[in-house]
Amino acid sequence: MSTRPVAIVGIGQTNHKSKRWDVSLGGLVREAAFRALEDAEMEWSDIDAVVLGKAPDLFEGIMKPELYLSDALGATGKPMFRVHTAGSVGGTTGIVASHLVAAGRHKRVLAVGYQKQSEGNAQFALGSGQGASMGAGGAFAPYMRGYIHRSGAPEDIGPMVAVKDRQNALKNPYAHLKIENISIEQVKASPMMWDPIRYLESCPSSDGACAVVLTDEEGGKAAAAAGRTPAWVLATAVRSEPFQFPGRDPVRPAGAVDCATDVYRQAGITNPREQLDCAELYVPFSWYEPMWLEAHLIAEEGQGWKMVEAGDTALTGSFPVNMSGGVLSSNPIGASGLLRFAEAALQVRGMAGEHQVEEANVAVAQAYGAAAQYYAMWVVANSLDPFGS
Amino acid sequence: MRTSHERGIAEVTITVESTIKFPYKRSLGPVIGPFMTALAEQRFIAIRSGSRVICPPLEWDPETAAELPRDFVDVGPAGTVCTWSWVSRPTEQHPLDRPFAFALIKLDGADTALTHVVDVESIDQMSTGMRVAPRWRAERLGHITDVEAFVPGEEAITVNGGVPGEPVTMMSYDASITYKIPVSDNTIKAHEATAQGRLVGLKCPVCERIYARDRGFCPIDTVELTDDHEVELPQRGVVTSYTIITPVQYPGQTETEPFSRVMVLIDEIDVVMMYQPLVDVPVEDVRIGMRVAVVWASEAEKADAGRPGNLVGWMPTGEPDNTDPSLANRIM
Repeated sequence: MSTRPVAIVGIGQTNHKSKRWDVSLGGLVREAAFRALEDAEMEWSDIDAVVLGKAPDLFEGIMKPELYLSDALGATGKPMFRVHTAGSVGGTTGIVASHLVAAGRHKRVLAVGYQKQSEGNAQFALGSGQGASMGAGGAFAPYMRGYIHRSGAPEDIGPMVAVKDRQNALKNPYAHLKIENISIEQVKASPMMWDPIRYLESCPSSDGACAVVLTDEEGGKAAAAAGRTPAWVLATAVRSEPFQFPGRDPVRPAGAVDCATDVYRQAGITNPREQLDCAELYVPFSWYEPMWLEAHLIAEEGQGWKMVEAGDTALTGSFPVNMSGGVLSSNPIGASGLLRFAEAALQVRGMAGEHQVEEANVAVAQAYGAAAQYYAMWVVANSLDPFGS
Repeated sequence: MRTSHERGIAEVTITVESTIKFPYKRSLGPVIGPFMTALAEQRFIAIRSGSRVICPPLEWDPETAAELPRDFVDVGPAGTVCTWSWVSRPTEQHPLDRPFAFALIKLDGADTALTHVVDVESIDQMSTGMRVAPRWRAERLGHITDVEAFVPGEEAITVNGGVPGEPVTMMSYDASITYKIPVSDNTIKAHEATAQGRLVGLKCPVCERIYARDRGFCPIDTVELTDDHEVELPQRGVVTSYTIITPVQYPGQTETEPFSRVMVLIDEIDVVMMYQPLVDVPVEDVRIGMRVAVVWASEAEKADAGRPGNLVGWMPTGEPDNTDPSLANRIM
């Protein structure tokens, strides 16, 4: 399948908070979109199509929000798409937008993800409106316990991830949680919510949005010539798998491994740990960092927690992970995947500010959703041929 | 030969009614907030967009998405019906308890129409182009229903009543929806089996994996599973993973104390039942390797129609724990 190069030339996000009651829903998504358009030096009229992603409608109780928000997002008279892949939706939204450009169908596409969790309740929504909701934490906790048993990882690994991501968030002006001087002891002293996951090892509920402007090779090169480095989308991959069947392994899901294998093959990556400079992974609960390092083939099986323990995944480590502070610091669910994808692009554009990784030329972003069933990944770089093939 | 789709419809004889409801909130922002505040004062405001006047007002131009300056203008209170639809049998969620019209009403001075209700006795009194005016409620909250309805004529019916006094910034939205869910033949069979104290599953004829009796298909081989594939399952197993959930409170939450959910690998056959409740086990005693057996509902419990099924949960058998370390690999 031949496709055309895709460049990310605009990135915007809101200031994420537990309650953005200062803005309407339309105002929230526009805050991110304005920033992305400004970054891209574009107007609403420059956009050819809009792709919108968010978590299930039960979260805010607005049915078909893609119709409700079409004029707010400048989609009047233009194609408007809604993407729906549960928690991975932000990532899939970016990928669908990139495919519209890669296929030559549209020249400039705006991808937007959002969630306004304060308008509803995540536990209610994830429990399909019934009592005794386990929430995402309860659903994933047995998987994380399985990882801990299988890998023999020490108890402190989860709290170490929780501390590291919150330290990174202090460097990100848009992050929701800002916990000064957070310590492993503080994390371990926080209430056990979904054993083995403690309160401070869990993501917050956030209001927020993220927007990305994608364009074609001509648009990307024009941005580069004007001194605005684009991020080139080297590869995208999406996978899904059934929620349950006897023998399914939710600790190292086949869909996660296949998604990584596919995206690295397309990008020409044979050694992810060496060829990638950093990663933004969807880690809503602390133990998912080592789990995804393994399932996405960055670490050998059973070795992911050792990267955490050695400090490799810290901002100044040999393989930084979740430089933005990650989902553990900001979780507007429908935007969370796109925030990962946008952070990878910010890094290779050299625009990540205080949480910039030095010499970040190639980065991977990932999002997952539902019962760890949906996977979305993209690899971005600051050139179309970063490995000199 | 009938397709499975046709057969599925033909077999549905039972439906279950289910209602979900939630008190959502809305933050109104810098334009709808003032509009709602004006409603509490028995006024309508609109916003200028170039030469047009938009009501209800928007933060942006609906055609170009350009941010609009906050140039508000009073409109109405009377207006003209642009088009309408008669509701002859209102439900409890409709704004009036008698037949009425939904109408698009262009308030005097506005260039766009507002959706609202026209209260007339019969459809014969409705016509496009008719003139209407608002009938305000006495108790006004800063909500679109502060206008109880529009009525024929030119004069607004105003009432001196309670108003918020503060600018309105938030709105509540009590959503409620009732579904009728068709119950499949496999689900009925699953309930019948548990009513008899039997644990049954469906075995895929291709891969031989076993699924819950109500699953109806193998997701690996995309094979439909029916009565022919039913297999009896042993009623004992071992806990392979678990969590203890601290219940987060939300409207509709039924739990207040920490509760456990366990994965049970059934003896002798290769199937894991996920997120099962334990009966009479303190949360601190839950562990991987614990041997458990099914607990069925008592006759008294069966009489409780509100209970979801006859399988109440699992209870320790008292046997020694299974210490096989590979158990942790069987979450599913």
